Amino acid sequence: MLRLIQLEMKKQKLGWYVRGACIATVIIAFFMWLMPYTEDSGDPAFAGYAEALSAAGLFVRAVFIVFASVLLSRFIIDEYRNKTMNVMFTYPVQRKRLIMAKMLLILSLTFVSMIIATLIVCLVFLAVNIRFHFIPGTPEGSVLLHTGIRLFVQTLSAAGVSLIPLYFGMRKKSVATTIVSAVIIMALLSSNNQGFTLSTSVAIPLILGILGFLVAYLSFRNVDKTDIL
Amino acid sequence: MSYIVSTRHVSKEYKGREVVSDVSMNIERGQIYGLLGPNGAGKTTLMKMLLNLVKPTSGEIEMFGEKLMPGSVELFKRIGSIIEYPIFYEKMTAVENLELHCEYMGFYNKHAIQEALERVNLTSVDGKAVGEFSLGMKQRLGMARAIMTKPELLILDEPINGLDPVGIKEFRNLLRILSKEYRMTLLVSSHLLGEIEQVADTIGILQGGKFIREMSMQDMRSEQTEYIEIVTPHCKEAAFVLENQLGVSNFKIIGDSIIRIYESRWTQQELTKTLVLHDIGIESLNHKHTSLEDYFMQQIGGGEKHA
Repeated sequence: MLRLIQLEMKKQKLGWYVRGACIATVIIAFFMWLMPYTEDSGDPAFAGYAEALSAAGLFVRAVFIVFASVLLSRFIIDEYRNKTMNVMFTYPVQRKRLIMAKMLLILSLTFVSMIIATLIVCLVFLAVNIRFHFIPGTPEGSVLLHTGIRLFVQTLSAAGVSLIPLYFGMRKKSVATTIVSAVIIMALLSSNNQGFTLSTSVAIPLILGILGFLVAYLSFRNVDKTDIL
Repeated sequence: MSYIVSTRHVSKEYKGREVVSDVSMNIERGQIYGLLGPNGAGKTTLMKMLLNLVKPTSGEIEMFGEKLMPGSVELFKRIGSIIEYPIFYEKMTAVENLELHCEYMGFYNKHAIQEALERVNLTSVDGKAVGEFSLGMKQRLGMARAIMTKPELLILDEPINGLDPVGIKEFRNLLRILSKEYRMTLLVSSHLLGEIEQVADTIGILQGGKFIREMSMQDMRSEQTEYIEIVTPHCKEAAFVLENQLGVSNFKIIGDSIIRIYESRWTQQELTKTLVLHDIGIESLNHKHTSLEDYFMQQIGGGEKHA
């Protein structure tokens, strides 16, 4: 399986992804910096460090779910559209393993870049905060630790959820569907209802993450029996 | 007799329409099998079914003596193929594409890539992305990829498309070499009948998804009608003489100057003598075979009917 993943990486040049991820991270960090200036009602934008860092994590996850859908399009949907999948499927390798390798690669890429981006954005925010004092006082170690753990779990879950668009994209082998469904999922996950979002608790995101992986698996469950035109 | 490929009553339906219906085809080991048929006859679909890319609606396929199942993949180590047109990762170079192929096939021989490229006369393409290749070059590269791992069975769908005349000749030689020296079994589809005629041992004809005939070229040659073709400026007079003086009734006039006689009662000398005696000019008089093309037209009923 590891060999298959390596071959995928060889096939798909990933330079564009790294560049895109860097640019996105910079923009999110900049955005986080601007956030405190948007509220003019007198209330501070962030009630405390936990809230600020959670917000940063949320932005990063939202952006990288869309990035993941682009990866899904390139790695899987485009291979069907370019018919390179026809060639792939005449190799002595189980089709499910081929697609699983792609999915694992996307999952790990998404997860790793989400973690790195979250880390960078949080650090930038904390650094900026020292100078501008958006949030009074210094962060407590326990708050940081607690928030960090929660962000980690949420990121893990988001990586799983990011595979869901594959299910919709595979039906008509459409790149547009894949990306649009990612945007919708992103909107649902980050929607904020009186401070309650779907990702506030830990259980819901975890279930969603596992569900995401299962849904993605469903999309190619029948790949051995399907005609490749 | 051992068959490498054998299909039994294989049919395929797409949206209620049968594109391949009840095909029973047998390919013997070591043969070059020519699959013929007009566009849309179901050649590609049939080949895709052999490669497990398309599943038959009914019927059975046996490859290398084993039944082809939805999850079968091990047999692909023994097959090389080009389906429809050669497909590559366009941003990668020829060598990179072939390396990738080796990896997936589980084939490790450093020299094989260069060897295959030389076999198809595709050298000096280093550093060029396959996306910039012409169709002919892609076709050559596709061929290189298919033969690189020295498979037992080669499935080639319209491999001559896009090749120039020199390329076609090289290709013909290559097929012979693969068959004779490497003992490969080849299944080749094409609409260029002349090419198939020169290399195939057995042909199968598909039309409208139905398998019309399967026969060895040897049988076909003996079955092919022979005729004598006369080219003369005095066509009508010649026809009159043939009918009334020689009693020939089975002949056909083509255009203004060609007569074809399908009877062998009279030799060429006798015909020439009689016609000359009646003052009929003869430009040429030849003994001819119908070509595979004529035969094919006859079989699919798309061409002229012989008298």
